[in-house]
This record gives sequence, structure tokens and C-alpha cells, in this order.
Amino acid sequence: MKFLEDIILKLGAVDRRFIFILIGLAVLIPLLTPISLPVRETPTTVKFYEGIESIPKNSKVLVSFDYGPSTRPEIHPMNVGVLRHLLRNGNTIYISCLWPDGIYMALDALEEITDEVNPDNKSTFNIKEYEDYILLGYRPGAEAVIKGLASDLRKVYTVDSKGRFIDDIEMMDDIKNLNDFAYIYSGSAGYPGTFEWVKYGGDPTGVPMSSGTTSVQVNEVIPYVQTGQLIGLLAGMPGAAEYEKLIAVPGIAIQGMAAQSFAHIVIVIFIVFGNLAFFIKQRRDRKY
Amino acid sequence: MNNKYQVYAVGIVGILLFTLALSALPESLNFFREEKSAMFAFTLTVIMIMLYEVRLAKSSSEDIFLRTIPGLKAVEEAVGRSTEMGRPILYVPGIMDMNEVETVAGVVVLGHVANMTAQYETELDVPVARAIVMQSARQVAKEAYMTQGRPEMYNEDMVHYVTDDQFAYAAAVNGIMQRDEPAACLYMGKFFAESLLFAETGNSIGAIQIAGTGSQTQIPFFVTACDYTLMGEEFFAASAYLSKEPELIAGITAQDIIKVLLIGFIMLAIVSRAFFDLGLTDFNLITLLNL
Amino acid sequence: MLLKRYIPVAIVAFFGALTLSAWFIDNETIETFANDDATQFFDIIAAFAVFLGALNLLKLQFIKVLKQQSEWQYSAIAIASFFFAFIIGFFIRGAFFVGEDVYFSQQAAEEAVVAMNSSDTVRPVDWGAHVQTDGSLFQWMFKYIFSPLSATMFALLAFFVASASFRAFRARNLEASLLLIAGIIIMLGRVPVGSLISSWLIMYIIAFSVGFGVNAYTRNRNMALGWVLGSFGLITGLGFTMGWPIDQPAIFYLPALQEWIYLVPNLAGSRAILIGIGLGIVATSLRYIFGLEKSYLGE
Repeated sequence: MKFLEDIILKLGAVDRRFIFILIGLAVLIPLLTPISLPVRETPTTVKFYEGIESIPKNSKVLVSFDYGPSTRPEIHPMNVGVLRHLLRNGNTIYISCLWPDGIYMALDALEEITDEVNPDNKSTFNIKEYEDYILLGYRPGAEAVIKGLASDLRKVYTVDSKGRFIDDIEMMDDIKNLNDFAYIYSGSAGYPGTFEWVKYGGDPTGVPMSSGTTSVQVNEVIPYVQTGQLIGLLAGMPGAAEYEKLIAVPGIAIQGMAAQSFAHIVIVIFIVFGNLAFFIKQRRDRKY
Repeated sequence: MNNKYQVYAVGIVGILLFTLALSALPESLNFFREEKSAMFAFTLTVIMIMLYEVRLAKSSSEDIFLRTIPGLKAVEEAVGRSTEMGRPILYVPGIMDMNEVETVAGVVVLGHVANMTAQYETELDVPVARAIVMQSARQVAKEAYMTQGRPEMYNEDMVHYVTDDQFAYAAAVNGIMQRDEPAACLYMGKFFAESLLFAETGNSIGAIQIAGTGSQTQIPFFVTACDYTLMGEEFFAASAYLSKEPELIAGITAQDIIKVLLIGFIMLAIVSRAFFDLGLTDFNLITLLNL
Repeated sequence: MLLKRYIPVAIVAFFGALTLSAWFIDNETIETFANDDATQFFDIIAAFAVFLGALNLLKLQFIKVLKQQSEWQYSAIAIASFFFAFIIGFFIRGAFFVGEDVYFSQQAAEEAVVAMNSSDTVRPVDWGAHVQTDGSLFQWMFKYIFSPLSATMFALLAFFVASASFRAFRARNLEASLLLIAGIIIMLGRVPVGSLISSWLIMYIIAFSVGFGVNAYTRNRNMALGWVLGSFGLITGLGFTMGWPIDQPAIFYLPALQEWIYLVPNLAGSRAILIGIGLGIVATSLRYIFGLEKSYLGE
């Protein structure tokens, strides 16, 4: 028993680099040898899915890429999934970016969608720029951009990301401001993002909107879901994985769930051993 | 005391009447957004209470009681520790710009910390993520050193710009921590994901860490990894606490009174909503006030 | 005094009051100023202020390199990276189209035209669009240098969360114990592995843990053993009766429990903190607007 207690005490005082190595392995191994784990949908994700499904076919939807490479593993799968879902339902997509990095994330997402092929080796989504989507691009100003979009889109965007005049683009003919969109979606990793879209975009105009956020932000954003200001929510990578399951296109988020699961298990095991060591030490100190 | 609350009661009635009068103006003169009447009345109430409390504090000789905030008491301890160890103090005023109230509050606290470092002749390092914050922080630090009679100790490069990018800034600050090994790390401002990067690196070098932020999502990380954390309101009260100026402390008293009013209103709204849902009344206070 | 104190305070008071009143006043000019112009003024000032910051950064890094201070090599890399990004962004177009293909330089594009025997002309991308064009040099820098570095820094959080949790989650008192238990429930309930853990296993674990408590309270091992055996028997009996459904009773099913913690106690606490923070921001802002606090000016 004493031997076991000594081992637990040693584990309780382990060098943090040992923890780093184990976390690294817990994440790396499931990514290299994919393990399939069942994904269970949460009500917020189901609500999100149903929100997108309920958009009338062939509607105009604004999708905002408000994240960068650091939060890409969480938000990118969501945004790619949303693009897939929208295109599948024949909607036209208008892409804006409140983060300067967002434009590159948008380009990558579009490339992924364009390169996707079905079993017959044909492109799944034969999308054309200026017909199925338009990449408006990044504009600085955070909430000022959203306020501008809410009043007059042309105040904010005179040209798109390629420098083409907005007035010369047929897709933009019927778009004056946010009220001309059927839905707003923001994949957001912080500021500017979900809050700003709700405060200055969705709420004032009444256009239905939803969002995908990092896991850390869910706490802050959940009140908006409760009040109905957001129609559901994609909460971090688990939310992205649930959404991939709902749209029946498994992607990187579902693959990443095994890695996340094992990493969490490793952390919990260390916490348990740490506490056991704590209690053993307390008991021994009391004895002496 | 009773007099003060009587003044507030009369004031609130006056504000409500004023708001009603504004809403009743004829169309041609009406510049007021009626749908925001409730918020307007609340804002005026807050202003009234704050200004009256400040007036009372100026004319009163009694000290206003402030509960001990361990994190703020520890700031002087942290500066002292750094002085004894001969190592610098690292101060991070958040990663956002001066348009954020938290950043301004962080720069204000920097002034107090700079006062102490000037007094104790401790080295101060303030890497910033925004150029405007750099200018403001320099001004504040310079004034602090002048006030303490140590202008020769001030060096404008103690406040230096690093980069705007979140993780590049985090990498730079982590590098500073690992190279310079400050004895105390103070994080006061608005933070995002980099908060834990700072706190864990500071922990690994054995520094005493005091954090203060209004970023709700980052408070748990700071609480877990730092020695002391000022959460939300405590952080905004820091300036008043450290300066001990009655006018500023009166602002905190005003906040407490407003909080009590808010709690009362929330209870009232809950009862009103319950009666409405049960069919006992046909109005709901929240929808009536357009909140 | 006038320039250093009164004028700055007056400016703060005027613009603060104007922006606050814009929320309540139905006037297009004031609204436009508060909603659009004020933010743009700030962005323009901040954009120009970056020059000050950049010059300060370069000055400090150059001094380190010139004086060959400790680890000056990193400063050399910082300077080189700065100029690399600066030159690519401002002076090199980095994107020349030949049909749909993009080349970094005009020369490479022309060589491609010759090599492919193409009739296409070389089209340089517009200035401005060159930083956003797919396949441009700037995008290459972003994709292969900036993105991996950013992602790496963010990935450090995974390791730091583990070490911070290990160090900090100790059941020292009741509150710390509640934090610990809630943390474990959320961590396991949020991921797919949590949905594989049966609620019956959780019940057994709880019964076993309570046994320790009974032992500590009564100091009677027999009573503790009796509790453990009794509760195990009860749980087993219930399990056989209900058919061992993995997610029933729901109160012990980790994903359901995790959701409840998120949506009820966590949300309540978050809202309370949020209200406090909001009040703090209101009070602090009013202090600045009314000139009660002038410390940010250096007073």
C-alpha cells in the first residue's frame, strides 16, 4: 500500500513536461490512426441545422469569416459545413470578413468546396464566382462595417476582393443592405464577431442569424441562443463535429473528436492522480 | 443617510417625469427615441447617483469603507518582491486599443504601479500591442516618475510596442518572460486566448502574478494560473482603491447603489412576468418598457 | 495646464457625451457620427499610430543587433521578417495571371506563357487586390509562414490547459471540490467519449466515493462497507429492472449533466459577472466623461 501511495505521490509531483508529452501523444496518435467515436448532437446544434434548413431555397445568405489561422481547427470545419449546406439548398452566398485573416480562410474554404469530388469524380459543387458566391473581402472597422452593411452596403463595399466594382456585379443588383439577406451567419473567434453581428446586424434589422464560435466563447454567447437572437449555435469543435454528422459529410471536426476525447481523458486522469496525491500527502502530514 | 436616499427617490421621480415629458413632445420637436425611454431613465439615474455620491464624498470628512481586495493589496507586495530580488516587473495592459474601457483602466493602474516602481527604484517593462496604448502608457509612466521625483529613472523604452497580432504578441511577451525572468507579472486589461499563455509561462519562471480583467471568458484561466485575480468590477475599482481618492471611491459606492436598484428591478420584472404567464395580469413589465 | 489637462478633458467629455446621447437622439447627423464616423476616426488614428509603434520596434531591435546584446539573433530575424512582409505588401505585386494560373513574378508568368505555348497574356493583379488574391506571394507568406506560427502558439494552450488543470484542480475545500467535479463532468461530457460512459458507472463511482465520506464521518469501516455494498446492490437491482440504458437516469449521464451545468448554474453565474462587468464599464466610462478620473492623461 505504501509503495502504491509513493507512486501516486510521485505522479502528483510530476514535471509538467511529462504531461506535455502525454498530451502530445494523446492528440497525435488518434490523428495519425483515425479512431471513430460516436458523435451525439446537442440541442443547440440541431437548432442551428434546422435554422439553415428552414432558409427558403435560392435565398441570399451572408456568411462572415471572422477568424484566423489560430482558431481554424474549430471554426473552419463549421464554415465549410455551412457553405456545403447552403449550396446544397441552392442558396447564393455573400462572403464578408471582419478579420484580415478571414479572407484567406474564406479562400481556403472555397477551394475545399470547389475541389470536392463525388464518387463519379465529378465536382460536387460546380460553383461559379459571381453566380453562386461572391467574395466581398475584408474591411477594417469591426462594428462600423456591420453598421454600414445594415444601412447601405455600398458605403462599406465599393469593390469586391478582386477589385471589381460592386455595381458591375449582377449578383449585387438587389442587395442594398442587410435587410436584403434571408440569413446571416458568422463563424467567429472573438472580436469582432458574434456579439457585434447580433448587436448591430441581426437585432436592428430582424434578419435571422446564427453563429459558430470557439468553445471558450460559448458561455458568453449562450444567452443570445436562449433569447432567440441566435438560431442555435455551433459550439467549438464538438459543435462542428455534430454539424458534420447532421449534414452527413464527415470532415476534420469528426476526425478531431477522438484526439480531443483522449486529450480530455489524459487531463482527467492527471487531475485524479493529482488529487489522490494531495489527499495522501495531507494524511501523512497529519500523522506526523 | 436617509437624506441621501430621499434625494435619490425624488431624483428618480424627476427623471421619470422628464423622460415622459420628452416622449410627449410634439412630432415636430421630437428628437427623442421613445423606444429607449427605459434605458434613458436608467442612464440618467446612474449619472445622478454617481454625481451626488461624488459631491457627498468631497464634502464629507469620513472615510468610505472599501472591502479588502487581496489582489490590489498584493501589488505593493509584488513590487517589493521584485525590488528585493533585483528583477524587473512585467506589466501587460491587455491586447486591445484605447477604445476599450478595460485598456484605459489597465493604463490607469499602470500609473499607480509606475509610482511604486519609481519609489522603490525597480525596473519596469511594459510591452504593448497597440501604438496608441504605447503613447498613453508612456505619458502615464512618465508622469508617475516625475511625481515621485525620479525623472532620471524614466526611460521611454520601458514602454515599447511589440506587434498588433494576438499570438505574435503572446510569443514576444513569453520570450521576454523567459529571458528577463521578471519577479512579478501584472496582467491588467482586456485579454483573449493568450491569457493562459502568459499565466502559465509566468508560473514556470516562478513570478508572482496578479491579473485583472473584465474579459469574462479569461477570468477562469487567470484564477487558475495566477496568484491573485481581480474579477470584473474589482478591476474597474482598482484605480479608486489604489489612489484612495474619495471622489473615485464614491464612484464605487454609486455602483453598489445602482446594483441594488437593478436587483430590485430584476425581482420586480420576475414577479411581473410570473403574473403575466399565470394570466393574472395582461401586461409584462419587460415588454412594456421595451427592454 | 490648459493644453495638458483642460483641453483633453473637454475633448473626452464632449465626444463621450455626444456618443452617449446619439443612442437616444433621433438625428441622422449625430447617429452617423456615432455609428460610423467616430469609429472610422479612431481607425484612421490607430492606423497612422502604427508607424510610431513600428519605428519603436525597429529602433529597439536595431539597438540590440548593433550592440550585439544577449540573443541579438532573434532581433535580426525580427527585423528581416518585418522588412520581408513590408516589401511584399507594399512593393511587390506578387500575383500575375496567365489564364487561371497565378505566378509570383512577371518573369515567371512570361516564361510559363512561352513554355505552354499559350495565347494568353500576362495580367498583373490590381494593387490592393494583390494581398487578397488566391496564389499571390502575400498569400503564400500568410499560408506557409504566418498561419503555422499562429496555429502553433494557439496549440500551446492545449498543453498549458493540461498543466494548469493538473496544478490548480485540487479539492482543498468545498468550492474547489465543486469546481473540480464540474470541470471533470464538462471535460468528459463535451466529447464523444463522455456519451460512451454509462450513467450506471457514474452511479457506482458516486456510491463508492460516498463510502469514503461515510468512513471519514463515522470512523466505522463496517458501516462504510455496509453503505457501499448496500448502494451497489440497489444500483444493480435498478439496473436490471430498467435494462441498463446507457443514458438513464439522465441526471447521471455525463452529456446531459454537462448540458445542465452549462445552461443553468454556469449561465446564471456568467450573467451575474456580466452584469457586474457591465456596471463597472458604465461607471468607469462615466468617470472619464465627467472628468472625475484623469489618470489616463498622466494626472
